[in-house]
Amino acid sequence: MFGWIVLGLVVAVVAYTVVTYNGLVAGKNQVANGWKQIDVQLKRRYDLIPNLVQVAKDYMGYEQETLQQVIAARNSAMNASGPAAAGVAEAAVSGALGKFMALAESYPELKANENVRSLMEELTSTENKIAFARQHYNDSVMAQNNRLEQFPSNLVARLGSFPVAEYFNVPEAETAPVKVALR
Amino acid sequence: MTGGQGPWGPTEPESEATVIVPRPAAAATAGLVSTDFVGAAARNRRATWGLIGIMIAIGALLGYLLGAFVESGNGAPNFNPFASATGFGFAIFMIVVSGIWTLIVLRFGDRIVLGLSGAREVSAEEAPVLHNVVEEMAIAAGVPKPRVAIMDTDALNAFAAGMSPDHVAIAVTRGLLASLNREELQAVVGHEMGHLLNLDVRYGTAVGVYVGLIALLADAILRVASWGGGRSSRSSNGKGGGAQVLLGILLVIAAILAPIAARLVQMAISRQREFLADATSARLTRNPLALISALEKLGASTVPMANANRATQHLFIVNPFRDFSAKASALMATHPPLAERIERLRNLR
Repeated sequence: MFGWIVLGLVVAVVAYTVVTYNGLVAGKNQVANGWKQIDVQLKRRYDLIPNLVQVAKDYMGYEQETLQQVIAARNSAMNASGPAAAGVAEAAVSGALGKFMALAESYPELKANENVRSLMEELTSTENKIAFARQHYNDSVMAQNNRLEQFPSNLVARLGSFPVAEYFNVPEAETAPVKVALR
Repeated sequence: MTGGQGPWGPTEPESEATVIVPRPAAAATAGLVSTDFVGAAARNRRATWGLIGIMIAIGALLGYLLGAFVESGNGAPNFNPFASATGFGFAIFMIVVSGIWTLIVLRFGDRIVLGLSGAREVSAEEAPVLHNVVEEMAIAAGVPKPRVAIMDTDALNAFAAGMSPDHVAIAVTRGLLASLNREELQAVVGHEMGHLLNLDVRYGTAVGVYVGLIALLADAILRVASWGGGRSSRSSNGKGGGAQVLLGILLVIAAILAPIAARLVQMAISRQREFLADATSARLTRNPLALISALEKLGASTVPMANANRATQHLFIVNPFRDFSAKASALMATHPPLAERIERLRNLR
């Protein structure tokens, strides 16, 4: 009788370990996949920006500085690596783009251009997609880190290599309210 | 999240800051708010299986009573109303038929629904904004992008169809595209995405099947009972006479009550899921204000839905029959009142 109880306990522990281990592997892959999804959208933004700037150049003669800022931010973001560095660089792109979008409001001919309109919609959507992909990534990171730190799944985590996942943090600059200068 | 309180239960304090921020880029900073759709779907699934269990039980009970009634009418010498072989046979028959019917609906349901509603699939070139918004919501939920369809009507409505996560579609009306802004459209698509994530479409359809089946059988029983009752009055000297009269009365009562009970269960499921889908939308967009203003616009519209169909009404974001069912009992509504949905969104934290 006692033997059976011990056997039952051993089976239960093994079953829990297997299930939890597989859950950790799935979580690790989900975090990696979430990061790739952000990447996909960031690449899309890198591709869209030069097109938009090219078209906008003709209309926004007085705003060359803003256009150059957008391009410069884009180029430095393309070279950033790792969630922390990418977070800072992408925030700079978002900031420059936000400024550009706000300036574009005062150029009716620019907004009337069919080509520009569709590029703007694409860029708006891509900005949203980046934000949503980041939201999803951070949720996956939280779920995975919960498993890594909570008892008793943290014991199972020691059987393999499961690094603590890194949040995609948004630096202060982006969370601060946008300042709009009205003339 | 670990709370397990359902979407309207007390949630993390972080969400308080996010719900009032209309820009998703800024809202994403508080990434600690859970988008635990897997948990919500699991709870929903358990609740729905329970309700489907009740449905199957109602159907089986009805089948048993019918079988027992038929057997008692045959004048069997040792008839026991609590262990009628024919009754059990009929009950099992009901369960098997509903099972097969469910499988058929699960396999072909999405095509049937899209066809019934007159929705036409559109390409990304035809409706770029709608496609973008659907893709944004799919990314927020971490699922493949659903197919996109448009219904050619000025009415304001939207619905989701699809039985498995890989074959789903979201359809909106042309009127909706014309009168909502981008954020409101996103909130509506988020609501439909919520239905898909929470597996509402699949279970809603399955439940609808049982309601139809029970109604069908109850209808048949009422006919058989009136015919059988007339016949048994002529030969009520048999051994099973008393039991048969009692069974007949029980059967008629059950045949009258069962469809009503099944319908109430269906409507209760449907209303709960509307609230849940609203909450899911708010969690995906982190922008409940957009959904509130979208619902207000939907509520203010008076254009009737031409292609509405009773069988699919629970799939729409607002009840396409609301003009007719406004005075009907709240128990029989597929959708909660818009005012209540907006109120719950306002209190969401």
